Amino acid sequence: MSWDSFIYFSVAAVILWTAGALIALKGEKKTVPSLLTALGLAVFFAFILGLWFSLERPPLRTMGETRLWYSLFLPLAGLLTYRRWGYRWILSFTTVLSAVFIIVNITKPDIHNKVLMPALQSPWFAPHVIIYMFSYAILGAVTLIAIYYLVRESKISNKGRLMAMTDNLVYVGTALITMGMLMGAIWAKAAWGHYWSWDPKETWAAATWLGYLLYIHYRLRRKASNKTSMYILIVAFLMLQICWVGVNYLPSAQGRSVHTYTME
Amino acid sequence: MEKSSRKIWEHPWGYAEGFIVASGVLLAGLMLQLTIGNIDPAAFGFPVNIIIGALFMVGLLSLHFFLRRKKIVRWLSGVSSTIPAISLLLAVIVIMGFTPQFSDHVSQEQLPPTPLRGLGWYQMTTSWPFVQLCFYLLTILGLTTLRRTTKKRGWRDIGFYLNHVGLFLALLGGMLGSGDMKRYTMSVKEGSVEWRGTDQLGQMHELPIAIQLDTFMIEEYPPKLVIIDNQTGRILPADRPEAYMFEGVGKTTTLAGNRVEILDFMADAAIVRDSNIVNFVHMPMEGATNAIKVRVTHPSLDHPVEGWVSNGSYLYPYEVLYIDSTTSVAMPVQEVKKYTSKVTVYTKSGHVRKAEIEVNRPLSIENKVVYQYSYDETRGKYSQVSIFEIVTDPWLAVVYAGIFMLLAGALFMFIAGPRQEATPEG
Repeated sequence: MSWDSFIYFSVAAVILWTAGALIALKGEKKTVPSLLTALGLAVFFAFILGLWFSLERPPLRTMGETRLWYSLFLPLAGLLTYRRWGYRWILSFTTVLSAVFIIVNITKPDIHNKVLMPALQSPWFAPHVIIYMFSYAILGAVTLIAIYYLVRESKISNKGRLMAMTDNLVYVGTALITMGMLMGAIWAKAAWGHYWSWDPKETWAAATWLGYLLYIHYRLRRKASNKTSMYILIVAFLMLQICWVGVNYLPSAQGRSVHTYTME
Repeated sequence: MEKSSRKIWEHPWGYAEGFIVASGVLLAGLMLQLTIGNIDPAAFGFPVNIIIGALFMVGLLSLHFFLRRKKIVRWLSGVSSTIPAISLLLAVIVIMGFTPQFSDHVSQEQLPPTPLRGLGWYQMTTSWPFVQLCFYLLTILGLTTLRRTTKKRGWRDIGFYLNHVGLFLALLGGMLGSGDMKRYTMSVKEGSVEWRGTDQLGQMHELPIAIQLDTFMIEEYPPKLVIIDNQTGRILPADRPEAYMFEGVGKTTTLAGNRVEILDFMADAAIVRDSNIVNFVHMPMEGATNAIKVRVTHPSLDHPVEGWVSNGSYLYPYEVLYIDSTTSVAMPVQEVKKYTSKVTVYTKSGHVRKAEIEVNRPLSIENKVVYQYSYDETRGKYSQVSIFEIVTDPWLAVVYAGIFMLLAGALFMFIAGPRQEATPEG
C-alpha cells in the first residue's frame, strides 16, 4: 500500500470518529460511539500496516510517519478515557486534534522510502517511538482537557472529578514518556556509545519530562491550585512539541541533532 | 500560590523560600562560573569522583540521622523545596535547549564570542549553575527518600522507592561517572592490526586492546534516480523532491513529469571515455560503479532521450543524462544499508576474540565496548578501512541499576496511577 491511498483511509476513519464523537455528545449509551471509534481505528491501523509491509520497515522514521501514529493514538486515548470516565466531549476533542494531524500529513506529505539507516536498525526502534507517540497522544488529550478547564472553569460542576481524571491521564502519560526515554537511553548506549549525550532532542525530552514531574509533585499538595496545575500542563506540552517537532526548526539545533532521519 | 498569615522565612517554609534558596544555589553557581569558568570533567575522574560521592552520601546520611528533626532538613525533604528546585533546573535546561551546545572538548577561545560564553551557556552541562542545581536536586531527592523510610509503610512505597532511588542512582552515577568515561576512535586497515586510539582531543594513545580487521563489508540500498535542475543541482520538483529506487530492468516510473523507462542496469560498470564518447562496460573490479540506462520521454521533447546514468565511485566521476538545457537525470549517492567488520580482538590480559561488529551491535570485551563508528567515506563501499570507537565507562553499572529501577517504577506508575485522595506533603 502506498502513501497515495492515505487520503481514502484517513477520510473514512475521520468520518467514523466524527460520527462516534457526535453520538457521544448526544447520547447516554457508550456502546455506539465506542464501536464507531474502534472501527475508525481499525481502518486507520489497516493503512499503517499496509504501509509497513510496502516499505518493508516500520513506518516510524520520518516526521510524517510519526504523525501517522499520533493520529491513530489520539482517538484511542480518547476512547479509553471515554470508556473509563464517561466525559462526552472527550471524543470530539481527540477527533479534531487527530484530524489536524491528518490534514498536515495530506497537505505536506513526507518522502517515504524503504531506506532505514543502520542506526535505526535495532529492536528498540519500534517500542521507543511507538511508546513515545502513545504518550504524546495521551498528553495531547490532557492538554485539551487543561484548555477546556481554563476556558470554562466557572461552568464546571464537579471539578474534583475532572482533576482526578487529569491526574490519572498524566500518570499514565508520564509513565510512558519515562519508558520511551529510558528505552532510548539503552538504545543510544548500543548505537552511539553513550546513554545520554544532551543532543537537542534529548535536552527537550528532559525538559518535557521535568515539566510533567512538576505537575505530579505540585498535585501532591491538597491545597494545589487547579488553575496553576492546568497551566503547568500547557507549558509542559509546549516543551513536548518543541521536542517532537520544534527541534527540526530551532536555530540552536540545526545540524546538531543525531535524531534527524528525514532526507531529500 | 499559598495563602497564609505566615511571614517569609518563618517556618514551615513554603514555595517562596524554596524559590529563594534555589535561586541562591543558581547565583552561587553563576559566581563560580564567572570567576573560574567551566568545570573540567577530567579533573573529576577517579579518585576525585569517588571521594565526592562518598562525602555527598555521608553528608546526606548524617543530615538524615542526626538532624532530620530540624525544620530545614524536614523542609528539604518535601514538596516545598522540590517544586522550586525542579522549576529552576527546568529553566536552565530550557535555556540549554535554545542555546547551541558545544562539546566540552571545545576550548573557550573557540566558542562564539558573545556574553553567553562567560555565563557558560554554550557548554551548559559542565557549567557551575547547572551542576550545582543538579546536586541541590539530588540532595532533596536523597533526603526525601530517606525520610520516607521513617513513615508508615504501604504498597505504594514500591513505586516511590523504584522511582526515587532509581533517579538518584542514574543522576549521581551519570554525573560522577562522566569524568571516568573514556572514548577513543581507532582506524584499522583491512588485514592489519591496530592498538593505538585517538581521544576526543585528537591525542594518540596506546590502548590495552588491539583490533585486527579481517574483512569489512558494506551493503547498500539499490540506486535511486532523480531529476535535477541543471543550474542548481537541486532535486525536482523543488517543493517535494521525487526519487525512484531501482527495482529491475523493464520498469517505468514518472519523475517530475518525465516518463522514465529503465532499459539496462550494471552493478559493476566501468566508464570509459574516448575523446567525445562515453562508454559503459561491464568490468567486475574494485572501483566499478552502478549504472542505469534510461529512456526519458516528456511532452516537450521531440524525441525520447536515452543514455546511461551513474553515481560514480572513487575511481569514476558521476554521469548525468541531459534531458534538455534545464533538467537532467541523475543518480544520488546510494544509502548504506549495513556495514560489518569481521574482527579479531586481542586484549593485554591475553584474551582473543573473533567477532562481527555492526552499528547497534557492539562488542563487549573485558571492561570495554567496541562500536562500529565509521569507515573511509571517500571510498564508499570499497572502503578498506573501518573505524571503531572504544568506550570505557566504569560507572555504567550504577547508571543502569538506576535506569532499570526507573523503568520498573514507570511500570508501577502506569498500573497504579495517582493516589485516589491527594494528601498534604508526600
